Amino acid sequence: MLATVLTSLVRGLEARPVEVQVDISSGVAGFFLVGLASGSVREAKERARAAIRNSGLRFPQRRLTVNLAPAELRKDGSGLDLAIAVGICLAALGLKAPGDAAFLGELSLDGTLRHVDGVLVAARGLPGQGVTDLVVPACDAAEAALGEAIRVLPAPNLASVVSHLRGEAPLAPYAGSLPEAQSPAPELDLAEIHGQEAARRALEVAAAGGHHLLMWGPPGAGKTMLARCLPGLLPPLTLAEALEVAEVRSVLGELPPGCPLDWRRPFRAPHHSMSLAGLVGGGSGMARPGEISRAGHGVLFLDELAEFEPATVQALRQPLEQGRVFLTRSAGSVAFPARFQLVAATNPCPCGWSGDGRRACRCTRAALETYRRALSGPLLDRVDLQVNVPRTPLEALGGEPSGESSSTVRERVLAARSLQLKRQGMLNASLRAAHLRCWAPLRPAARRGLERWATEAALTARGFHRAWRVARTLADLEAAAEVEERHVMEALGYRLAEHAG
Amino acid sequence: MAVVGARRPTPYGEAVAERLATDLAAAGVVVVSGLALGVDAAAHEGALIGGGCTVAVLGSGVDVIYPAANAGLARRLLDAGGAILSQFPDGTVPRAANFPRRNWIIAALADLVVVVEAAEGSGALITADAALHLGKQVMAVPGSVFSALSVGCHQLLRDGAGLVQNARDVLADLSSPGEVLDDPLAAPERFRIAEPADGSRDPLLRHLDDSLPGDPGVLARKLGLPFGDLIARLTRLELEGRVVRRGAGYVKVHGRGTSREESE
Repeated sequence: MLATVLTSLVRGLEARPVEVQVDISSGVAGFFLVGLASGSVREAKERARAAIRNSGLRFPQRRLTVNLAPAELRKDGSGLDLAIAVGICLAALGLKAPGDAAFLGELSLDGTLRHVDGVLVAARGLPGQGVTDLVVPACDAAEAALGEAIRVLPAPNLASVVSHLRGEAPLAPYAGSLPEAQSPAPELDLAEIHGQEAARRALEVAAAGGHHLLMWGPPGAGKTMLARCLPGLLPPLTLAEALEVAEVRSVLGELPPGCPLDWRRPFRAPHHSMSLAGLVGGGSGMARPGEISRAGHGVLFLDELAEFEPATVQALRQPLEQGRVFLTRSAGSVAFPARFQLVAATNPCPCGWSGDGRRACRCTRAALETYRRALSGPLLDRVDLQVNVPRTPLEALGGEPSGESSSTVRERVLAARSLQLKRQGMLNASLRAAHLRCWAPLRPAARRGLERWATEAALTARGFHRAWRVARTLADLEAAAEVEERHVMEALGYRLAEHAG
Repeated sequence: MAVVGARRPTPYGEAVAERLATDLAAAGVVVVSGLALGVDAAAHEGALIGGGCTVAVLGSGVDVIYPAANAGLARRLLDAGGAILSQFPDGTVPRAANFPRRNWIIAALADLVVVVEAAEGSGALITADAALHLGKQVMAVPGSVFSALSVGCHQLLRDGAGLVQNARDVLADLSSPGEVLDDPLAAPERFRIAEPADGSRDPLLRHLDDSLPGDPGVLARKLGLPFGDLIARLTRLELEGRVVRRGAGYVKVHGRGTSREESE
């Protein structure tokens, strides 16, 4: 007696179909599990045996062989439990499994179905493999239902799945519909910030053009607070973006049950002691998404950038360029999306007082140089906007903050972004040199200004294009077709002073 | 005469040190300093411009020029007939503990010590202290009351140090019969700004100081300008060499032309 049941494994953000083939033959009673099953899958034998018995079903006392195909794909996790148990029951009953249904779920010993990670990824990936029905634990139904192209059948336990397959008590499809798009209120409003005109303007420009941003200022200047304002200046996630964010969280098992779709832009602020694997993704066996993938379509905030391990910071380069990160571990290679906007912050010097004006910096020039060198280099070459954030005088904190609110700024940002998308199909931060010549024509005076600056300040080619990209965004904020000289001049102002003291 | 001060002075302090040394050297005074960055370097530089002879006292062996950035200056100083001295044996590396001892030698060599920009507790004040112990004259150049780098000098002035506005003040104290070139103190050539041909000047400059960095945010609010426009104008001035960035703020570059108009 042979039964074949479909299930799936998650590799990166991809669903790989897995066939569970169960054969029951005469011979000495035994249970053999083959097909490159790792430790966690071999434990499924014990769970399946107990769950079948405790569900009032018969566990066949014969020679039982379970093969997980394709055999070259390494299997891990507990999501295959349900498919293995269902296969055994069907084989024992002499029934065939439907060819267009897949089964996901972890078993308790009493037969109850438990949550598994990555259900959303399976629900979105399996329709492309010819699967129309997906049986999932009841607690994962809302998550699975976000994959619109599939019929979700929530099941409380193994017994209900088996009686569904025997035609005794069919499972009711999940009835919930896709949640409506929302514009959530920002976590922190710009209106709450005192002063900080330079940083406000830089945040607006960063939001409008998708530029990465570096804030440079003494401790306590409010850099973290400013960074937290950025998600509120960006447009809400689109459905596709929200689903991708949810997929990453699904793989990590971080989706809250019941309300899986979050329309807020992610904001991640990993501490500088974070490991490389934690930041870009990794781990033993199969790589898991790191902070940069969790920050997808949102903001990755690196406070105290100079304190991060240099290797960790340099590992951000490839994801910054490509919007994806490729990770290879012993169990195989995966790619995770990593399209995030970087906001970095740093003290101006080890003691933090350089450039404050009210107190003298006590760092030696050599210490300053070392600190700067930790910050320079290839990563900062990709940060278009660099801005000083001075400490707000204490007397100013007593009064009412007088700046614009996030919603006012966001209107300008949205207008500028839609101009860019209409013109070039991408944000200005992604423009390369050839794009700039085409999409960001410079007025003669603007070209002269930029070239004069490039000569006198010995600007690198990257620096030249950085200023040009930012100038394009400044022009877009004014809905100007061409880049004027004042845009170039302002763009050149958003870089760090050579002299901090 | 010794000219000492901050390693990271404001453009004002650097200009004062250079001009003062130029005028003193031209009057035949030997300028002694420590070959450090900032005021020290400006003083040596000024003495060379004035065609004088200048002496550098090091906190390392005479064969270890520190900081290395001043190696060129050290070479020119020797070529002009100056001297590099040290109390430390050859090959001594610059250690923090050496510098206060070096400062005593500077004070001992000079008849008079002029302090240009010194933060509280800085090395220049050690030199001034040493000079007082050795019975030498101490004079100080006043600065902006907003600047942390003025605190040391103003403390000295309060304690009775002589006030320096120009080389003549120093020479009068030294009772040396030299000829003084300029009065009041004029900014040296490299700090001077050429006026644009059309005579136009951004009125923004009037709102900027030459030692205390002006915060562009505060300035934008005061002038009622959009922040972006203000940054564009400041950057234009920076490109023309009229202002420089200092941390988050902008400082006016010291020039004779601008200060004249300012005082009118």
